[in-house]
Amino acid sequence: MRMHHQQEKPQKQRDLTGKTRSIAKALLNIINRSFHRRLFNASQSLIACLVTLVLVVAVNAEPPQSPARMAKVDFAKDVFPILRRSCFECHGEKEQEGGLRLDQKADALDSGMIEPGSPNDSELLRRLLLPRGHDEVMPAIGDPLSKKQVAILRRWIAAGAAWPDEMQVASHWSYVAPQRPSLPPGMSEPWVKSPIDQFVLDRLKEEGLTPSPAASPEKLIRRVYLDLIGLPPTPKEVMRFVADPSDERIESIVDELVQRPQFGERWARPWLDLARYADSHGFQRDDLRDNWAYRDWVIQALNDDMPFDQFTIEQIAGDLLPEATESQKIATGFHRCAPTNVEAGALPEETRTEQVIDRVNTTGAVWLGTTLECCQCHDHKYDPFSTKEYYQFLAFYNNTELEADRASNKPSSIKFQGPSMELSDPNPELKAKRSDLKAQLAELEIKKTSRLGLLAKGLEAWAASTALVVADAPKTHTLDVVSFDSQGSTDSFENLDDGSILLVGGDPPDKDVYTLRTLTALKGIQGFRLDVFRDDSLPGGGPGRGDPKRRNFVLTEFSAELCKTDPEIIKAGNSGGEKLQFASATASFSQRNWDVAGAFESGVKTGWAISPKFDDSHWATFVLSETLDLQEETELVFKLRQQWGQSRTIGRFRLSAVTGNLVADSVPKNIAVALKKPVDRWSPKDRRALTNYRVGLDATTKQFDKRITDLQNQLKRLVPDTTLVMVELTEPRMSAVFARGDYQQPGETVQPGTPAILHPMPPGDSNRLALAKWLVSPENPLVARVTVNRWWAELFGQGLVTTAEDFGLKGEPPTHPKLLDWLAVEFVENGWSMKQLLKTIVLSATYQQSSSTSDELHELDDRNQLLARGPRLRMDAEMIRDNALAIGGLLDLKQFGPPIYPFQPDGIWKKIGGISYQYKISPGSEQYRRGVYVVHKRGSPYPSFVNFDGTARFACTVKRSRTNTPLQALTLLNDPVYVEAAKSLARRVRAEKKNGTLEEQIDHAFQICTARRPTKTERDALMGLYRQQLKADSQDEPQPSSQSKKDDAWYCVATVLLNMHETFTKD
Amino acid sequence: MTQPMDRRGFLNDVGIGFGGVALASILNDESFAAASNQNLAPRAKHVIYLHMIGAPSQLDLFDEKPELVKRHNEPCPPEVTKDRDFAFIGKTSTLAGSPWKFSKHGESGQSMSSLLPHLGEVADELAVIRSLHSEEINHAPAQMFLHSGYGRGGRPSLGAWVTYGLGSENKELPGYVVLLSGPPGGAGTSMWSTGFLPSKYQGIQFRADGDPVLFLSNPDGHSTDDRRRVLDTLATINQRQLKVTGDREIATRIQQYEMAYRMQTSVPDLMNIEGETTETLQLYGAQPGKASFANNCLLARRLVERGVRLIELYDSDWDHHGSIETKLPKKCKETDQPIAALIKDLKRRDLLKDTLIVWGSEFGRTPIQQGGDGKSKGIAGRDHHKDAFTMWLAGGGVKGGVSYGQTDDFGMDIVENGVHVHDLNATILHLLGLDHEKLTYRYQGREFRLTDVHGNVIRDILR
Repeated sequence: MRMHHQQEKPQKQRDLTGKTRSIAKALLNIINRSFHRRLFNASQSLIACLVTLVLVVAVNAEPPQSPARMAKVDFAKDVFPILRRSCFECHGEKEQEGGLRLDQKADALDSGMIEPGSPNDSELLRRLLLPRGHDEVMPAIGDPLSKKQVAILRRWIAAGAAWPDEMQVASHWSYVAPQRPSLPPGMSEPWVKSPIDQFVLDRLKEEGLTPSPAASPEKLIRRVYLDLIGLPPTPKEVMRFVADPSDERIESIVDELVQRPQFGERWARPWLDLARYADSHGFQRDDLRDNWAYRDWVIQALNDDMPFDQFTIEQIAGDLLPEATESQKIATGFHRCAPTNVEAGALPEETRTEQVIDRVNTTGAVWLGTTLECCQCHDHKYDPFSTKEYYQFLAFYNNTELEADRASNKPSSIKFQGPSMELSDPNPELKAKRSDLKAQLAELEIKKTSRLGLLAKGLEAWAASTALVVADAPKTHTLDVVSFDSQGSTDSFENLDDGSILLVGGDPPDKDVYTLRTLTALKGIQGFRLDVFRDDSLPGGGPGRGDPKRRNFVLTEFSAELCKTDPEIIKAGNSGGEKLQFASATASFSQRNWDVAGAFESGVKTGWAISPKFDDSHWATFVLSETLDLQEETELVFKLRQQWGQSRTIGRFRLSAVTGNLVADSVPKNIAVALKKPVDRWSPKDRRALTNYRVGLDATTKQFDKRITDLQNQLKRLVPDTTLVMVELTEPRMSAVFARGDYQQPGETVQPGTPAILHPMPPGDSNRLALAKWLVSPENPLVARVTVNRWWAELFGQGLVTTAEDFGLKGEPPTHPKLLDWLAVEFVENGWSMKQLLKTIVLSATYQQSSSTSDELHELDDRNQLLARGPRLRMDAEMIRDNALAIGGLLDLKQFGPPIYPFQPDGIWKKIGGISYQYKISPGSEQYRRGVYVVHKRGSPYPSFVNFDGTARFACTVKRSRTNTPLQALTLLNDPVYVEAAKSLARRVRAEKKNGTLEEQIDHAFQICTARRPTKTERDALMGLYRQQLKADSQDEPQPSSQSKKDDAWYCVATVLLNMHETFTKD
Repeated sequence: MTQPMDRRGFLNDVGIGFGGVALASILNDESFAAASNQNLAPRAKHVIYLHMIGAPSQLDLFDEKPELVKRHNEPCPPEVTKDRDFAFIGKTSTLAGSPWKFSKHGESGQSMSSLLPHLGEVADELAVIRSLHSEEINHAPAQMFLHSGYGRGGRPSLGAWVTYGLGSENKELPGYVVLLSGPPGGAGTSMWSTGFLPSKYQGIQFRADGDPVLFLSNPDGHSTDDRRRVLDTLATINQRQLKVTGDREIATRIQQYEMAYRMQTSVPDLMNIEGETTETLQLYGAQPGKASFANNCLLARRLVERGVRLIELYDSDWDHHGSIETKLPKKCKETDQPIAALIKDLKRRDLLKDTLIVWGSEFGRTPIQQGGDGKSKGIAGRDHHKDAFTMWLAGGGVKGGVSYGQTDDFGMDIVENGVHVHDLNATILHLLGLDHEKLTYRYQGREFRLTDVHGNVIRDILR
């Protein structure tokens, strides 16, 4: 209890005015001191004070106490645990808020909070009874004490507040291993079907209650279906059971259901919430990851009824089992589900530490029902776990490799990595093909290596000859232009001094072909160079002629012909020449998608252009396929076709022939420099550069590379699926206590170890496997209780311990402690069988009660903690979808494999951090597979699941909330998935009851949705709607066909059916 | 605890009509307010939170550093970068002075750069905090930290805490609305998620494209009349079921379907800004039908008018590692006028006193340069900086014309009145009448708070 104001009180008393004091004195004769104090605090308003008094009196008033109730209170057993749970966090060993300490006799009794023998004078009780939200109410943190707890404290104080000097305080209940409790008497009660019922009935009797009647057969079979396989029964299955609703029959139905493959899918969902399973990393780089094989493993393990201890060991440490199987390794995906921050700039070690911490906290929540995370920064304030123990526990998990690391020293190079295991391929053909490709690849690699060896060996000789080539640098020779011709009618041109030609004229044609005749007698022509210049006379300064802003040109074709015939004939227009072939082209710059190489290919769709570099001169060299040696002066005719349009033509240019070695021109500078050096002066860097250059030129190596890439691509397409697994480092990391939880401040080093309050770990290894075995040791007081309690919660909506996530001091004590222990012991003794335990529960009379409630029962126990009725819960997100799809006959029961992509509105998977994420709806009926297969992206989860309290799975979730919102209504009414389900239901009903009356059809549809027949009111309402709709004006068509009117009317009926609260409630 | 006294009475009356809209919350409001007495007087009824995703440079907008300008391009002294991590740059970068001129605005003389001419006009309304600091240096964790007090995800956002704490005022619109211009930040929907609080406290994104709220429109060919008939039939059946089973959830369910029906009108009405005057549209620079930050600012005012408690605007592309000299002016141009317009418009409608506006981001940017050659007159870019950055508050209980907190000559560290993210969140809750130490939720064995075990209200900026 946090009592801030106790120091101030005497001061306030002294400040009282005389008037108030006299009234107060008068009141003191009739009321106790605690009220008095309340009065002082509110002394400004006597009236308010008196009202408060009346209220407090009402609350304080205890009914006349029967002798049984006055039974002596045992301090150690009854009182101390209450104080420990509710007070010691702030008034205990570690903290003494307001100077108050309640965990030690002397301090507590001297504090003035407790007046032995006078509960009504005890400040402690006054504080406990203040209304919630009051400034002074205690406990300041957490729930108020129950009436029963207050009564115990009152009786203890009334009896003199005895606090023995020597006492044996019992351990908190959950840290003592459960023992099989003796059954309460009452086996002969006809209602009782199972020991469960005896425990429940015992408690009901204590409260003066009786169980509810059994649920109707229709509701019972539906409840069992939904609970065991997550899908509704068909009307046929319902009818068969209604015909014989015996205990034997329901047992055989249960036996059959737990064998269905859908069992594992339904029960995987809560487990995957615990495992924070998702298909993406989370955070800014929320890329998808392949870990779905782990999800499938969970489904399969549940279907196989894998004993829970083994289920645990394989998930925590399957990789460390002797000769671990593939399946056991896949199981370790449990802890690879941890979110991973791979945002550019994230620190790998920080990311790793966060993942390890997440693993510790998740393990604590799942197997120990304990919130360990408080101990990250400080010793747990109320549960018996220290910071050091936290980091000892962490040490078990600290020995896996980095799962996000930088590929280089660049912060942006951080990538998701960590062990990913190839899944064995169920398809032998693919496997064979893959190994064949791998063999080919290996062979090629060998060939390539030997080729590289060869190239490295002859490097010196090659360098010597290459040096000669480089020395023979290319020379350009401007060609003499004999004539120039363009197609523009108003154009003229000028021959400038530098040998270039400038087009003149303000009205250039859209498209143009320049024809140039030149004369030359050069030998050894390797190619031709075209220079393009800017000129002030051109629009905007050129080089293009078309537009002062967009000064581009597009050279669609560059061609050259060698004229051997009589010049006279040529003049007559017959070129009759020989077209020269080009092998390649290079240019100073080519526009994207307009590479210069396109300019010696014919066709107008390719060509050379230079946007956006309009401000530079440009050149292009067209390399001939063969060297051209001219013996005499010869005419060469060039054509520059520019067919793009909008006068994207060249304004000023020059043509030259190029001799010498063109290759030399392309030799990079560092190579040219190295080649000039004598061999003995080569630095290692030179040699490396030369080798790489030579390899780059080598056609054989190029061929190898091409084939290797080819094979790799083929292999990539055939690559087996992978999944994330845990792999232990050979050398364990050092673990240390982090000061204030900061990984950059490691303190005392620690060895792996488990908390002292719990069962000891046997000597031997202290690795993850040892931890896993310790978790499911029969001595572990928590694991079986925590586990059965979660399953109970899944069936009843809440656990016997309502704080399923917290079995510590602050958690709620079990409503039925013996029942919880009985279930835990049963579970372990039955070989940790989940199916056996579920069967035991669903065959109990407790489970099979009707779920209807009365006002009286609601007032008494609105949360059904006493179990005087059956469970009644809105389905969870995935089940709502599965149920609707099943009702509509759309559900595809295909199992396993990569996640599916159901319809979701556009734009949900937004571009984030420069990366956009594609969402492609799964084809055909794939999108109608069960919710457990729906892709889960942490940064943008499937919206209709979020609307029904599905979590983002950023962290382990023990308990989802269960809300009731308008967005849920909108989802069920308008989400295309549910619209399609409604339409499909309408079609299904009319197909299945083709010759039935409307009434029969509606009854059938109603039964598909709820398992029961409608009442007259319900049927009338639906038939009324149908008839109204038939009469209503259609929105779309002026005169709709009677068929489409019927379709619309049926769609409306089906929408009502799918949206009935009962349809998506397990009742 | 005040007991909803007429529960039974309502249940008997449920068939009569749906007039009593507040009943839904009486029946099902698990909000903190419903369960406890509030003892702080609220100063603000609404919050408009303007989050510039990516982190604008405080040194080029609010935190003037003449020393940095003077020593532009000098190597950063090693003692300044000692023990400090940056996301991308090394510690050897050069100092980067702002290329923009700063001047004083308003009677209070708030210092702002030439990039914010419009905001300068309302300088006297702002409490500028130049001493914010955070603990996270990457976007997604820092965004989560700012909004949920925790950098790893899975915790409720400020908006969810507020909605949990105060419930919703409007029964036809959600209490917590999110508007985006550009893609969301790296933290995705976690910035407005409920974490472990019940999902009804989540922020609801109103979208500019498609349905403004997911699944708001009736399917094609299904008219409002059709829908009304469907809902009436549904209500008849649900009511019968309520009577038979006594399940109170059904009563709530009936109410929620009615609210959904009302939202089908109220949300499109809200989103349609065509009825605004030309003067107002011009004030914001908003254009009907065109998605923009300006439109979102105008929508924020409309949401406030309709009683929506918490409105968050997220604007993207503020992460200027490079080309800051072209990108930052562009972003300022898109946002400066609408933000100033929002303040002016709220003020003239007398709504500013009840509406707290918060402007800021997940962190700030470094006083040292990223990229560039360290020789040019200008700057190339700035890296993430969590140790000192600027946010401002205005309206709802906040003193205007206040400058709070100071950084050193480089703007690297805080020298006076540091404000941690937890302090900011404590202050926002305080202004809404919520004690950040008392607003708790028990989950997985722990009493959680938005401010963890930290947070001090910044009294000096309160009216």
